[in-house]
Amino acid sequence: MLLAIALALMVAQGLSAALMWRMQRERHLAGLVNYAAFSLLGQNLRVPLGRPLHPAMPSSAMMLGPDGAPEIGLRMPRPLRVQVEDRAPQQASDRRRPEIEHALRQVLEAQGVDAARLFVAERDPARDPLISAWLAQPQLRLARPAGAPRPRLIVAAIGRGDGTWLTARLLAPRTERAVLMTLVLQTLLLYLVLVGTAALILRRIARPLKALTQQVEAFARSRAPVGQLEPEGPEDIQRLIVAHNAMERRVGALLDEKDVMLGAIGHDLKTPLAALRVRIEAVEDDTERGRMAAGIADINRSLDDILSLARVGRPSDPLEPTELSALVADVVGEYEDMGEDVTLGEATRMVMPLRATWLRRALRNLISNALRYGTRARVTLQREGRDAVLRVEDDGPGIPDGEIARMLEPFIRLEASRNSATGGTGLGLTLARAIADQHGGSLALANRREDGETKGLTVTLRFPLT
Amino acid sequence: MNASTPATAPTRVLVVDDEAALREPLSDYLIRQGFVAVQAASAAEARARLTEAAFDLVLLDIMMPGEDGLSLCRHLTETRGLPVIFITARGEATDRIVGLEIGADDYVVKPFDPRELVARIRSVLRRAARQPEEPGEQFVYAFDGWQLDPLRRRLTDREGALVPISSAEFRLLIAFLDHPRQMLDRDRLLDMVQGREAHLFDRAVDNQISRLRRKIERDSRSPELIQTVWGGGYMLAAEVAKVPPHG
Repeated sequence: MLLAIALALMVAQGLSAALMWRMQRERHLAGLVNYAAFSLLGQNLRVPLGRPLHPAMPSSAMMLGPDGAPEIGLRMPRPLRVQVEDRAPQQASDRRRPEIEHALRQVLEAQGVDAARLFVAERDPARDPLISAWLAQPQLRLARPAGAPRPRLIVAAIGRGDGTWLTARLLAPRTERAVLMTLVLQTLLLYLVLVGTAALILRRIARPLKALTQQVEAFARSRAPVGQLEPEGPEDIQRLIVAHNAMERRVGALLDEKDVMLGAIGHDLKTPLAALRVRIEAVEDDTERGRMAAGIADINRSLDDILSLARVGRPSDPLEPTELSALVADVVGEYEDMGEDVTLGEATRMVMPLRATWLRRALRNLISNALRYGTRARVTLQREGRDAVLRVEDDGPGIPDGEIARMLEPFIRLEASRNSATGGTGLGLTLARAIADQHGGSLALANRREDGETKGLTVTLRFPLT
Repeated sequence: MNASTPATAPTRVLVVDDEAALREPLSDYLIRQGFVAVQAASAAEARARLTEAAFDLVLLDIMMPGEDGLSLCRHLTETRGLPVIFITARGEATDRIVGLEIGADDYVVKPFDPRELVARIRSVLRRAARQPEEPGEQFVYAFDGWQLDPLRRRLTDREGALVPISSAEFRLLIAFLDHPRQMLDRDRLLDMVQGREAHLFDRAVDNQISRLRRKIERDSRSPELIQTVWGGGYMLAAEVAKVPPHG
């Protein structure tokens, strides 16, 4: 943002500086042209001697130094300025200045002077016999500070009918560099002030916006109101922050309400379920009682799944550094003790911050699924780069490729019938994925293929080890 | 057997639950199992019943209108030293820890198997009879940089990270920690660790030992902490200290 503004400012300033530079040059040029024209015209018009030649002159470009003070040392004595010479003024080292020549010709012709033979060139003052002699005068040397740039000598000559040349010499200070420096300094100063101001304003806007962004991100992650943000910055942003605070409070209140409600539902349903569980002990028939107990256990599991899914985003227990392989071994041990076909393969020890109750639940869901659909489960825990990778493999039929994404949605099971013998609410995978999410990890399903044949399903839980 | 001796007198249980739908069938079930069950619909009523007669154990619902189960439990364990088993609708870890820290002896989560409840009542009473618990003797075991909090059943490693252990492993470890540097043979270990999960524990002790080693040994193939003793036993080869919690 700031960079874009700085760039735009730089371009605009550069353009304006270039324009100003051109204008300066043109003014300088016009000064030169005018001065030359007046010098030449004055002679042509035979101004009486003794009268100052051009009261309005010299031009500012001629007479003003880079600091604006008159360049006294360059005021030439009149005889030097305009001379009648009998030969063409051109020297070998001269640099013709056609642009000045062109402008001068226009001025002269406007005054009715025949300027067909016009010559304008820039000359090194040292190579001009007249000027070099004049410049060598001791008082002039003293007047000019050492190291100052040598003035530029412009020679303008017009051929007269009698074959002589009227030659004007003008010394112009080399002001370009100084002017350029001033311009560059000016531009830089302006640029710094503008960019500085822009940066300050941007900071005033950006800081509260950044704080707000962090707040929203933290809220999205934890779903727990972290606390209200202090409104600051420009008025619009302050209002945005106030509005956000209100919204966050409201969302937090709604979520709290939901938790209370779910707690109440859980309590209200579990008590009669418990009563039912006690009452069926009076049933004489063992088989019948067993079925009833299993039914109650099923209802209870579904209830737990639903309550867990509703609470998974807002766990009440904190993360705690825990040794993951011990937790995995524990859950696998539970199944082993029940005589299920679950094996624990490689299990690397690693500590990560986690919520043991939730992670156990996720792992139990995955192992139960593997046993239900794939007859046996193999569990491994490995470190891969900076991740802890937990895999549960089964030897079942896998999942058709098109169905994999759908399997993670709530209440989706692969079989068409919801009341099949395999049971379950269809929340197991959804819940496992939500728990992985809760720990900043991910869950992926993949069919395991060998020779183009599906050999089973691999569920991969991946957690960043921080 | 003389019916008047305390050993054969029926166990008196106070059932405290605001829900009659659960309280009544539960009391009936306990009576059928040979207990004397008295009902109370609130904490206030429970306090009244407790002044009228003596009880051996209290079954206590946590969520009740008015004074809740946690508060009553604190009162019971502080003033009377009565064993308490919580009945809770919530199964989350924090609740469990809170329940046990507050002084309850055990808990069941609704809906519970009534037979399991009876087993737990008997187990709690057995424990209460064996060692009258002194309140305030809170400590954690410290061995070789590890710590085991017996009350909260939390094992932490040298770096302080939680290392989850099963109930069987917990009991096994407690047995070793109570008898450091002593050879414990399989029968003795089985005896000491048989708790309420007895049905889970009919697998060989060796199996549990190897699970425990996987968690606490630096290299479970050459164990240093829990060593195998020639002749069919195991020994904890570490100094054990009892230190105050969070110390």
